[in-house]
Amino acid sequence: MSISTGVRPKSPTERLLAANSWLVYAFFYAPILVLIVFSFNDNNNVGIWTEPSLRWYRAMVENDDVLRAIRTSLIVAAVSTVISTVLGTMAALALERFRFRGQRVYDGLVYLPIIIPDVTMAVMLLLFFAQSFRILDGLIGWSPNFGIGTISLSHIAFNISFVAVVVRARLGQLDPRLEEAAADLYANQWQTFRRVTLPLILPGVLGGALLALTLSLDDVVVTSFVAGPGSTTLPVYVFGLVRRGVTPLINAVSTAMLVASMILVGISLVFQRGTASSPRVAEAHPPE
Amino acid sequence: MTDAVTLQGVTKQFGDVVAVCDLDLAIADGEFFSLLGPSGCGKTTTLRMIAGFEFPTTGSLKIHGQEMGLEPPNKRPVNTVFQSYALFPHMTVEENVGFGLLMKKLGSADIAERVKRALDMVQLTHRAAATPKQLSGGQQQRVALARALVNEPEVLLLDEPLGALDLKLRQAMQLELKDLQERVGITFIYVTHDQDEALTMSDRIGVMNEGELLQVGVPQEIYEHPTSRFVADFIGEINLLPAVVVDHETVRLLGNHPISASTGAASGNEVTVAIRPERFELYDLDEPIPEGMNRIEGTVSRRIYHGDVFYYDVDTPAGVIEAKEENRPGVELYEVGERTIVVWAPAATSVVQE
Amino acid sequence: MTAPTDRQAVTPELEAAAERAASRRGVLIALPSWAYLSLFFAIPLVIVLVYSFATRSSTGLTQLRDWNLDSYARLWDPLVGEIALRSLLLAIATTAICLAVSYPFAYYIATRGPTARNILLVLVMIPFWSNFLVRTYAWRVLLGTDGPLSQLTQALGGEPIRLLFTNTAVLIGLVYGYLPFMVLPLYAALERMDWRLVEAARDLYADGWTAFRKVTWPLSRPGVIAGSILVFIPTLGAYVTPAILGGARTTLLGDYIVSQFLAARNQPFGSALSIAVMSVMLAATILYFRSGARNL
Repeated sequence: MSISTGVRPKSPTERLLAANSWLVYAFFYAPILVLIVFSFNDNNNVGIWTEPSLRWYRAMVENDDVLRAIRTSLIVAAVSTVISTVLGTMAALALERFRFRGQRVYDGLVYLPIIIPDVTMAVMLLLFFAQSFRILDGLIGWSPNFGIGTISLSHIAFNISFVAVVVRARLGQLDPRLEEAAADLYANQWQTFRRVTLPLILPGVLGGALLALTLSLDDVVVTSFVAGPGSTTLPVYVFGLVRRGVTPLINAVSTAMLVASMILVGISLVFQRGTASSPRVAEAHPPE
Repeated sequence: MTDAVTLQGVTKQFGDVVAVCDLDLAIADGEFFSLLGPSGCGKTTTLRMIAGFEFPTTGSLKIHGQEMGLEPPNKRPVNTVFQSYALFPHMTVEENVGFGLLMKKLGSADIAERVKRALDMVQLTHRAAATPKQLSGGQQQRVALARALVNEPEVLLLDEPLGALDLKLRQAMQLELKDLQERVGITFIYVTHDQDEALTMSDRIGVMNEGELLQVGVPQEIYEHPTSRFVADFIGEINLLPAVVVDHETVRLLGNHPISASTGAASGNEVTVAIRPERFELYDLDEPIPEGMNRIEGTVSRRIYHGDVFYYDVDTPAGVIEAKEENRPGVELYEVGERTIVVWAPAATSVVQE
Repeated sequence: MTAPTDRQAVTPELEAAAERAASRRGVLIALPSWAYLSLFFAIPLVIVLVYSFATRSSTGLTQLRDWNLDSYARLWDPLVGEIALRSLLLAIATTAICLAVSYPFAYYIATRGPTARNILLVLVMIPFWSNFLVRTYAWRVLLGTDGPLSQLTQALGGEPIRLLFTNTAVLIGLVYGYLPFMVLPLYAALERMDWRLVEAARDLYADGWTAFRKVTWPLSRPGVIAGSILVFIPTLGAYVTPAILGGARTTLLGDYIVSQFLAARNQPFGSALSIAVMSVMLAATILYFRSGARNL
């Protein structure tokens, strides 16, 4: 056996591991890169490279359907992220910091939407909205339409659970003594939450919000079930286009969506670095 | 004088587990009181009930005569120094110390002034803008103290506050804490499992085990005259020898060996005799022994050098006795196998029931 | 100092009242999400359950009467069995490939120095957070008959690639889509492992492989199980990937359910299928939590 010194000679296992990893990275990034490159292709045919151009991006911003879908996506994402973050955070608090009767059932209700497949969720919400609109029509003669409203309500329904799980994980790491200390120092329950709990779980809350935002912007299946005529989100619109065939326009829209995702990741990384402080206090004792 | 804290018949149950059982305790104003016991004995639960983090199941809990049992922590005139300090990691030292005053809605000038004084008191003015993570363990501990004391509580509760510090720092902080308590004159209730800490700092000590308060007294009383086998055994080193009461002034050890001790139990009772190792002196067989002293003959079976002292194990008919002799210049050493007489005063003999 | 007070000593009744007050606050905080999920999740679930026992009229309308088990009986239809088996095999294959690729990959990342580790991890996070549809679509571009991969093979004198609209393409797309879901839990399990245990095993005469088999692998099992569930469950119900990369003759459970609602207009049967798929996934998840509890 070799003795490990400063620089260890690379063992064959080590080389294999490294090779595997670089292949995985290639696998991750090659399709994305190809997509990005071809979105700048001037040719009408996706596969044949002629010359670089921004033609398809121009076509994208001049396409009213695309713009309307972007608008719908952004509204739905914003509404569902804000509401599900508030409700999900409250759910996490109730589950992690209180004991009450019926808590186990409530716990199950919060977790179930995560386990249920997209398709089932979509079916459930479609039948629910159709049925309740029929009932509403019968009762008060008001029959709402499928559209931004139903999409947002559906996105909130699956996002609450994801936010709750992420926030709960963070709350679980938070030393409950910090909250006791605040109460000991005359803070009432609201002040304790506002000044101690919330700032310390904020990375979790924002992480949950980011996840909700991503899931909302990602969703195709549920949205395509509960969307109405003339009100689809961008992924559903793109999905419809893709099923009809590959076009350079889709490449451009896709690249724009990728860039948006990466900006979100970038924001989250910057943010995590800024608030990387551990909620546990007594762990690190650097020298005086 | 009103007592700072009085507990009467306080019991705390968690489900079926009785954490604290029918506790009666009065802690005087300005006292440094320690609750001492092994982990899980109920001392921390008692402290948490006084702080308001737990509510008693039954009983009366008064702070300066006011019934407080079910008041939330923020409505109690007490402050706590937590075991892990529980400093708010997202606030600076200054903000941590000022938190209580801010919650009490003091003016910002007033807060700044009092925070500064509190930090002066713990010599941390120069770290006011630091975050807790940037501080050493000892500094964090002092911030926790300042954060509690700045509110001028009627009672300060300390939950093993020195537990995370290394030995040297801990010893220094013990003296500093005692000194501080005398200066500010606030009642301190101090929870610890470390008997040295309790003995060094306290005006009085309450020893707890399995949810019950076994003995309350000044440190000397607790150390010299334990009233139960548990207290004797838990605090310091001690020899515990089985015995039978003969009369008010005599018990008989194993091997039918009578010794003098104030018994306080009916004759014929089986009791335990507790004697501290440092109370023994070893004599040669032919040496004259002072009048009125207890004695028992035995063979040295082991000698351990411990720097400042020697420990001897002496096999006697009453059992193995551990004796401790100071390492003075010219001290006479006994070798393993040598015969000796173990001698001690009747007053140093505690007789405890089970 | 003593002031008269109306407060009493604590009795068990008073303590219970205080506890109730605290638990009421918990209920109050739980209430909004409880109400929301009851309305927009629990009730829809019940509706699907109810529909699965309903009748389909000849015109494709669902009639909420004549309750029957016909839809469930149809689950045993050989066509359904074929689709379910294909979905199951595809989900198992996807999970197995993801695990085989991810384990050494996560192991490699977890054993780097802190800086390298963070960079490598961010490079995994980027595809993880990127739009799923777009990532799947990228393969459509890449695998197209006149796509770059095909052109590359032809330039090298080979045949054009004809993978698109096959099960293989779907498999590639699923592995690509769900690989990060396997990597991250595996990494989390390996990263918090105490490597001194491996050293202890080596010290006790285990060779590298034995140490891995007896120490590293068992300790990383919670990550393996979590990752497998995270990949297996969504792939079993996958809809987007097969719709983009699969062909007409490669129907899977996801698109089969969708088609019952959008094309075939057989809501009772679609509901029964949804309930069945959901039950399988619930069972798988419960198994996961059971085995997870044993391992932690």
